[in-house]
Amino acid sequence: MSTLRKKARITSVVAGIGIVAVLAAGCARGTAGDDTGDATEGPAEASPGITDTSITLGITSPLTGPTAGPGNCTVDGALAYFGVKNAEGGIEFGDGKTRTVEIKAYDDTYDPQKALANFQQMVSDGVFAAGIGLGTPTNRAWREAAIDEEVPQVLVMTGDPIFSDREESPWQLGLVPIYQQEGGAFGEMLASSTEDHKVAILSQNDDYGDGYVEGFKEAIAGADNIEVVKELTYEATDTSVDAQLTELAASGADVFFNAMSITPLVISSLKKTEELGWTPNWFLPSNTSSPGGILQQPDVHADVFPGIYTVAFSQSAASPTFAESEEGAAFLEAIAEYTNQEGVPAFPHCVWSWIAGATLEQAFAEMTEPTRENFMEALLSIQDYSAPFMLEGSVIDTTADGKPAVSDVLVQKYNGKGYAPAEQFG
Amino acid sequence: MAAAAGFLAKPWVRWVAVLLVVVLLVVAPLIFPIFLNQTLARIGVFAVAVLGLNVVMGYTGQVSLGQIFFVGVGAYVTAYGVNADWNIALVFILAALIPGVIGLLISLAAARLGGLAIAMVTIALPIIGVPLAKRLSEFTGGSQGSSARFSSAPDWTGLADDQWQLYIVIAITAVVFLLTRNLVRGKYGRAFAIVKGNEAVASSMGISPYRYKVLAFTIASLIGGISGFLYMVVVQYTSPETMSFGHSITLLASMVIGGAGSILGSLLGGAYYVLAPQLTNAIDSSLTAVLQGIILLAILFVLPGGLVSLPRLWRRRRKSDGHGGAPAGGAGSRSAAAATVAPDVSPSAASVTAAPVAATPTPPEPNPPTQSEEKRQDT
Amino acid sequence: MGTFIQLVIDGLSAGSIYAALALAIVLVNQATGLINFAQGGMAVLAAYFAYSFLQWGVPLILAILLSMLVSFVLGALIERFLMRRFEQGDPDTAVVVTIGLLTLITGLCGWIWSFNNLQFPSLFPLQNVNILGAVVSVRSIGTTLVIVGIMILLQLLFIGTKLGLALRAVAVNPQSAAFSGLPVGRLLMVGWGLAAALGAIAGALIAPSLTLTPGMMDAALVYALAAVILGGLSSPIGVVVAAWMIGVLENLAAVYVPFIGFDLKIAVPFILIFIVLIVRPQGLFGRKDVVRV
Repeated sequence: MSTLRKKARITSVVAGIGIVAVLAAGCARGTAGDDTGDATEGPAEASPGITDTSITLGITSPLTGPTAGPGNCTVDGALAYFGVKNAEGGIEFGDGKTRTVEIKAYDDTYDPQKALANFQQMVSDGVFAAGIGLGTPTNRAWREAAIDEEVPQVLVMTGDPIFSDREESPWQLGLVPIYQQEGGAFGEMLASSTEDHKVAILSQNDDYGDGYVEGFKEAIAGADNIEVVKELTYEATDTSVDAQLTELAASGADVFFNAMSITPLVISSLKKTEELGWTPNWFLPSNTSSPGGILQQPDVHADVFPGIYTVAFSQSAASPTFAESEEGAAFLEAIAEYTNQEGVPAFPHCVWSWIAGATLEQAFAEMTEPTRENFMEALLSIQDYSAPFMLEGSVIDTTADGKPAVSDVLVQKYNGKGYAPAEQFG
Repeated sequence: MAAAAGFLAKPWVRWVAVLLVVVLLVVAPLIFPIFLNQTLARIGVFAVAVLGLNVVMGYTGQVSLGQIFFVGVGAYVTAYGVNADWNIALVFILAALIPGVIGLLISLAAARLGGLAIAMVTIALPIIGVPLAKRLSEFTGGSQGSSARFSSAPDWTGLADDQWQLYIVIAITAVVFLLTRNLVRGKYGRAFAIVKGNEAVASSMGISPYRYKVLAFTIASLIGGISGFLYMVVVQYTSPETMSFGHSITLLASMVIGGAGSILGSLLGGAYYVLAPQLTNAIDSSLTAVLQGIILLAILFVLPGGLVSLPRLWRRRRKSDGHGGAPAGGAGSRSAAAATVAPDVSPSAASVTAAPVAATPTPPEPNPPTQSEEKRQDT
Repeated sequence: MGTFIQLVIDGLSAGSIYAALALAIVLVNQATGLINFAQGGMAVLAAYFAYSFLQWGVPLILAILLSMLVSFVLGALIERFLMRRFEQGDPDTAVVVTIGLLTLITGLCGWIWSFNNLQFPSLFPLQNVNILGAVVSVRSIGTTLVIVGIMILLQLLFIGTKLGLALRAVAVNPQSAAFSGLPVGRLLMVGWGLAAALGAIAGALIAPSLTLTPGMMDAALVYALAAVILGGLSSPIGVVVAAWMIGVLENLAAVYVPFIGFDLKIAVPFILIFIVLIVRPQGLFGRKDVVRV
């Protein structure tokens, strides 16, 4: 037999086996596929990740790499909160069962591709719901996959408005106020001032900075007494913003709107601005305005500036009164016991993650069925909930379309020790 | 062992082996669990990226730290095209061509300047690429990125999404790998190897280093663009972070770990790129960096030639007990090229190729310093 | 005019940071022929050591000196037990090994000392002086002067001392160096140790303004590589001048060339390199090397 015919024979034999195998396997996986599909048939069929005694949550966040500081906090707050609750026996759900909450954390190093891989891993590992993770691109990467899989992606740590749009994101919910909101709150207060103001802006060159500036500008649109004289950006990876500050100082502005999320850069900006002899009123975003972490650092003289304003919805763990309060002390104790955080957390995300845990508990208490749909219903119906460490005037309200769980922010002014609410500018 | 080698060399055995692989590729996505399919698809994406890097760096010896830039451009082109409802075949072609053209233009300028300039330009690509992607937000969606859902399985196939995506990745990856394999085994591959070995010798033989460097770089960027298309198939979202400099470094590491200058090595490199984070996450998600560092160092310590040199190492250990140790990295392709060219480009390579490829009874000499020095001071 | 001078001085200060790292990279390259991607990481590790010494009550200068000593030993050990295996092989493999080292060191720092921003005290008093209308911090001046001092020392080392000559000989041709009776292994270890100690100084100088985090030197590394290539791999003076140029021109371009702006100012060093390499392929101050075929 010639080699060609031999080859042809072998080919056809193998191909035949292949086709049979394909058909067989296709049927096999098909039936297997059906099992893991719809979990909503019938009221009693539980979603994956929940049993009568436990429920599993997944968090994908940057745990190593440049944003690992806040990233670790987003996991640790929830770990500490549920650590305490689990030690007390678990959380009582709306269907009468008491369950412990297990948290599975995954490192995505702020890489969207890894965040998606982590989500797929979470689904494979059988988590009930996911969320609380840090970052806009990382959360966006698996937003649509979560919608397809009908897995909740809730209380995410990003001010990106898309997560709170109920139509666009039926399975999502943001936790922290959208960036536009924070910028807008300050803009509103400034616009209502009786004097004229010139504003210089320095913002981070991404959706965070853009959001703040957008909100601010929207709020001051039409206000004749406010003029933006200079607007500059910086990259999150920059080692210094001195050049930008030099340019901004030359603009003669009396208000400095600052949308920076990098702690060391804010500290160096405060010092440099003073060196340059420029003393405007400052606005700092909620995550970089900590008294202990930033304003009271060595050689930062906050008092040379007429006013330092910020927006906030929660207390700062670094403020001296925090540790003195009962709740605060319990928080610090839990953090020390259940996480690897050293000392007082340096980022607000630890407190925010704790608030997320408390909010989840509220949702669990309303759940009557062990399904993801029911969970989302319960979560999206929380109103007027004053979570631990939230400032007066700020509550959790998840019922408003287009708004994240927290949407009230207070404008505050620094008073040398901490922040006090500010009704007016000046 | 020799009998086994002889058996494997028979043509019909080769054919059956190839067909078995094909059958496996067709059948596997249908029976594997979802997460495994998704992981394999991601491995395919980055295997193609590493393959592109191998063409310009492993085979032609030009340092490129910008491969991820082309992947990113390919992904952005795909996202833009899909969101603009263009024909998917057109999108695919553009996703390959546009990075290819960019690579061509860049190498036309940089290749004349020698190794240092190429290295610097390639470093510049992802570093400038990220802020550029943010600035051109009309095309790219800015820092919020761009989502493009287009790889859900069509109803007529009856497949699940992960299976469909894996099939697409397998099909395109297989084609790219086969084409590249033919390229590097042919006269172009030999020319690349000579340019890598010694440019002066190459030009004295009538092989223009400039032209082949440009060719290698363009092909690498073309392949990178295809990898970007596959990235969008699998991830369906891209943002400026897709092309950050850190990923370029990881791609380089993946290439070396898989095996530089090797087709199979590119596949292994892609597997490393995807599996290392997943594995370390499973062990301890707070220690991913430490564990990945350890894994990388451990692999290279035992196998300096990369994972692909494992059989070589095993064979050498079995054959000649006293001579274990580090084979010169990339000796495989370089020695193959030297065999056909035959001048004394490097005395050690020539002596290695004197014996059949499988067994090297003479202990491998380290690369003479002139060769590594040359690469460094190649200006 | 005040703005211009301010930008120049700030650029010099930023450039000094890149220069410090670049000098360490040059040292390793001169000694062992490798580009060490982990140089910044090792510098950060040294700064963390100094931080720990400070926590234990050791005064600042002593803490930094101790960290330099520890770094020297660590650098030598890394060369002997990790890098030695790869030095004579494929250079790409050696570079990737340094990349793995960087990942490992960064991860270890994050694990041991956490990823929070730690405060590191400054060697120099926090005051400012007025120069021609620009406000300059004493810290910037101090950093720049220290870098200049190190640069001069390194230049003297390489050109004027036997050790420097021996280091260079070993890098260029280890076999001949061995035949000439030089203790090649020990010299390689010394080269890496010195570079690590140098990195320790850089880390201690930079940590006060950037705050100490595991990834503190990552951004500087890219600039340092650019400075090394621009200045020529063999010249300490060259890389420092190149680093200064990069720092200054970046700032000036960002402010005076609106098209570039602050987000694309990072393109400036690379455009610069491209132009210089067209004219002088060996870098500004490098030596042209003749290669025998």
